[in-house]
Amino acid sequence: VMCDQTMCIPGERLCSSEQYQAGRGTYVRHGSVFATLAGRVERRKESGDNLLLIHVQSVHSQQLVPEIGAIVICKITQLSSSYAKCKILSVRGSYLNTSFRGMIRKEDVRSTNRDKVEIYKSFRPGDVVVAKVLSLGDASCYLLSTAENELGVVIALSENGDAMIPLSHDQMQCPKSLIKENRKVARPQSDYLSF
Amino acid sequence: MAGMELVSDQGYRIDGRKPSELRRIRCNMGVFTQADGSAYIEQGNTKVLAAIYGPHEASNNMRNRVCLDRGFVNCEFSQATFSSAERKKRSRGDRKGRDISAHIKQTFEAAIRTSLYPRSQIDIYLQVLHSDGSLYCACVNAATLALIDAGIAMKDYVCACSASLTKGSSLIDINHVEELAGCAEFSASILPKLDQIIYSELNGRIHQDELGLLVDAVSTGCRDIFAVIDQFVRSRLAETASYFTHS
Repeated sequence: VMCDQTMCIPGERLCSSEQYQAGRGTYVRHGSVFATLAGRVERRKESGDNLLLIHVQSVHSQQLVPEIGAIVICKITQLSSSYAKCKILSVRGSYLNTSFRGMIRKEDVRSTNRDKVEIYKSFRPGDVVVAKVLSLGDASCYLLSTAENELGVVIALSENGDAMIPLSHDQMQCPKSLIKENRKVARPQSDYLSF
Repeated sequence: MAGMELVSDQGYRIDGRKPSELRRIRCNMGVFTQADGSAYIEQGNTKVLAAIYGPHEASNNMRNRVCLDRGFVNCEFSQATFSSAERKKRSRGDRKGRDISAHIKQTFEAAIRTSLYPRSQIDIYLQVLHSDGSLYCACVNAATLALIDAGIAMKDYVCACSASLTKGSSLIDINHVEELAGCAEFSASILPKLDQIIYSELNGRIHQDELGLLVDAVSTGCRDIFAVIDQFVRSRLAETASYFTHS
């Protein structure tokens, strides 16, 4: 990452769009890249691209909304036989000021044996889940998926209220009572949880 | 106001300004901690607070305004009871308030990159503490600062200014007394660096030939306001930059 100390303000012309690829916080108009935020200009080499990416890092709070394909962290709020509802708390590692409603449908819980999934054996209210945004869904909530090994429950409390330890891809155990509970457990990976 | 001269023989206005002179602008950003972004602006005696919440999920009574491909702006304007000479309890949904909030919503839907915030709602709350003319303009300028503070992507700054005509010459940034004089009042919002007018409004009647004069006066005024706001934002950026490099 190359950081020069130049600051920019919304609407400022940064460079020609042939020199740099427009990243976050910028837009292209008439062949030039303009800033949309007030902040610091960063230029970065993206792997596989021969153009440098230019983006603006806001000095104030950054406003994010979940977008398709983004990794989100959410908390399960409500279960039913066909779906689990949740609150999206963070997007791409940035904490959101206000939560967004999300929903994980039964079909999207795991990638194998999709028709044998039981929501009650996958999640419990209060579980912290890493998921991926499938689509923006209908007007009421985002559709999320945990159908990858890296996605699923990362933090869960047992019935006694103790944080459980993952045993396998579908079980977690309470360290005190040694009771095993079923979950769709994630195999957390550093690039999925960048904190 | 009959018989009152808006510009004296010496060429000065009632409050001592020259015809093309703005009132003093003072501003501040980040005045509230709870809001996602906030700002305060004083243009002469007109004082406005702005607070931004969002982008967040549409609230229940706004469900019908949700767009799947872009965010929408919700604006609420209110005027304090003590803001004008006559103490008056104003309800939130009075006619003037509805008009201004609708106009500000239009202005900012044109300036914010709403496609980045699909299905979301951005709230702009405006509170007038002291009303001394050019309310719409002060509100737009305050909201611009608050949006920058909130880190919401915009195509450009939005700057607004008003102007009036008297005896064939233009007055910019008009105050309450000049508004009352009954001349035509023209206000516009521009994107100063992209050189676009995104909103204009004319109250009263003028001759077609004079419109060009008004538009020129207003765009000069907007550019002057832009210079002040720009300087403020840059100085604020430089302050936060030091913090930035350490984190």
